[in-house]
Amino acid sequence: MKENMLAMNKKSFLGTVCAAVALTAILSACGDGKTRSTGWEFARNMYDPIAFNPDQPNKNFADGITAQTPPDGTTPIGFERFEFANTVEDYERAGRELVNPLIVTAENLKQGEALFHTYCTVCHGVDGKGDGPITQDRSVEDSRGKRQLENFPPPPSFHKSTGSMSSRGGLMSDLTDGKIYHTIFYGLNSMGSYASQVSPEERWKVVMYVHELQKK
Amino acid sequence: MRNISSVLGRFTKGITLSFLMLFAIHSTSQAQDVKEGETLFKANCTTCHKVDRKVTGPALAGMSERHSEEWLVSWIRNSQAMIKAGDPAAVAIYEEYNKLAMTAFTQFSDDQIKNIIAYVKAEEVKLAEKANTPGGGEAGATGSSDANTWMIVGLIGLVVVTVLVIVILNRVIRSLENVILNNQAAILEAEAKNEEYTENKFAKFAKAFVKNKKLVGFAVLMLVALLAVGGWKTMWNIGVHEGYQPVQPIKFSHQIHAGVNQIECQYCHGGAFKSKNASIPSANVCMNCHNTVTAADHYDGELSPEIAKIYRALDYNPDTKEYGNNPKPIEWVRIHNLPDFAYFNHSQHVVVAGVECQTCHGPIENMEEVYQYSPLTMKWCVDCHKETEVNVDNKYYDDLIAAHEKLKKGEKVTAAMMGGLECGKCHY
Repeated sequence: MKENMLAMNKKSFLGTVCAAVALTAILSACGDGKTRSTGWEFARNMYDPIAFNPDQPNKNFADGITAQTPPDGTTPIGFERFEFANTVEDYERAGRELVNPLIVTAENLKQGEALFHTYCTVCHGVDGKGDGPITQDRSVEDSRGKRQLENFPPPPSFHKSTGSMSSRGGLMSDLTDGKIYHTIFYGLNSMGSYASQVSPEERWKVVMYVHELQKK
Repeated sequence: MRNISSVLGRFTKGITLSFLMLFAIHSTSQAQDVKEGETLFKANCTTCHKVDRKVTGPALAGMSERHSEEWLVSWIRNSQAMIKAGDPAAVAIYEEYNKLAMTAFTQFSDDQIKNIIAYVKAEEVKLAEKANTPGGGEAGATGSSDANTWMIVGLIGLVVVTVLVIVILNRVIRSLENVILNNQAAILEAEAKNEEYTENKFAKFAKAFVKNKKLVGFAVLMLVALLAVGGWKTMWNIGVHEGYQPVQPIKFSHQIHAGVNQIECQYCHGGAFKSKNASIPSANVCMNCHNTVTAADHYDGELSPEIAKIYRALDYNPDTKEYGNNPKPIEWVRIHNLPDFAYFNHSQHVVVAGVECQTCHGPIENMEEVYQYSPLTMKWCVDCHKETEVNVDNKYYDDLIAAHEKLKKGEKVTAAMMGGLECGKCHY
């Protein structure tokens, strides 16, 4: 019987090959293709930059961070000084003194709209009505199960037709260039400062687009 | 247990219901419309106030005990006027909240304001009911306490099963020992035979195997093929990080933020618009929302441990809402890492070509934990570049065509016209 097995007729030969192929296929299909390790690497030093990337640790600085915050009193390229303090008085003064330096053009408005949708819609809503997705009831289903997410306090609507009040007095639809710019720069109540995310020119484009929403 | 608690729950619910009814009668006798109050509250107050906790302004629960109704009405109508008039309670609140002015609601009538106050009272009663009823009140915590009871039941079960197994095994051992004692001689004999038999079997098999040249050849061939295929696959995957999913310092879920919350990718990764890097957001971007959002509902009123990591990184105290001066960076683990000899620019792809983030990064909005979706190999880049059509309908290509037309007409082009007089061309 043993001799029979070793002689290996065609049938059992084919059977062995089939079994080997099937085993390989099954083994190679294991896992979902995600891994905690980067696997084998060749010449790792070709991946790591010689100059420091902003997100890399850096021993040359006392705090060990490459991306240093600019020293006090300096102005980054592409940014400009904003000579108004975060007080109610300066907010009112900005409202009186500042005027949008950009002219209303279709292109500026289009860019303002795109910026508004990127940075503001989350809370203020697509239309500026204060009904952004994170102010609404919503739930998530993930590895921790299904659960309700916390609602962000909804901001007041910009629309003239709603007649919402600003917390600093006056109607939201009456906010002037400088007041909107001041709020983008410093934030207000639950809203944070957007000075680090939106450049001065972009802020003015957003201001321009908010005026369009106020007309509604 | 469950039955008793549900009976208790029904009982207390009944009591609170009747209490609510009484309250309703009481409030209608004052002609306050809770419904209108709710509409007004949701339209005007929720921006800064919650009933159960402090947001921008104070938590409103218990305000009717703290202040008289007249005081509340005049405060809501115009708090600034009261502060200027020097009302001590008004000034105290103003000072406590860092001189943050509350919106004046001069357009409201006395009745409207009283409706809002009535609505807040009704909400307070609902909250108190929630906190007191065993069934509904601990709804937030049921998940964890359920898990606890299951764990305890499971542990007890495990202990019982273990004891049973030990007892049975003991019995088996005892009976086997008896068998051995009774048949020692027979066993020894059998063991000797067995050894001889196995030795013979293996030796025979090996000898027959070596003799069969065909089979040896086949086995060697299979081994070589296996190694070759395995080696080939491994070699091609050296330095390819597709599927790489490292553990990050904060369990940040893109599924929640980009998927459910519908936050635009560039809200956090603004660099993708403007620069080579898509940029990892600094923690102040997190704080735009997480100064308010603490996910306390899911942690029995405590701050979420993951959000606490942001606060720790910023040295932020959520109680005083102040930043300390000992921040520590969050050390995110880089997933997509192009070798330094390959140049890739995000803004070029996102702004100029208008490529969607998902084209390369996959279904990010569904990823609870991010992994590298694309191989980022040169072949992968080249394949896409071969298929992608360039949009030539813009000023750059108009200028290019115009320049070609000029050349065709025989106009001369000088170095200066191509920027040859710019200072930086020589003095860099």
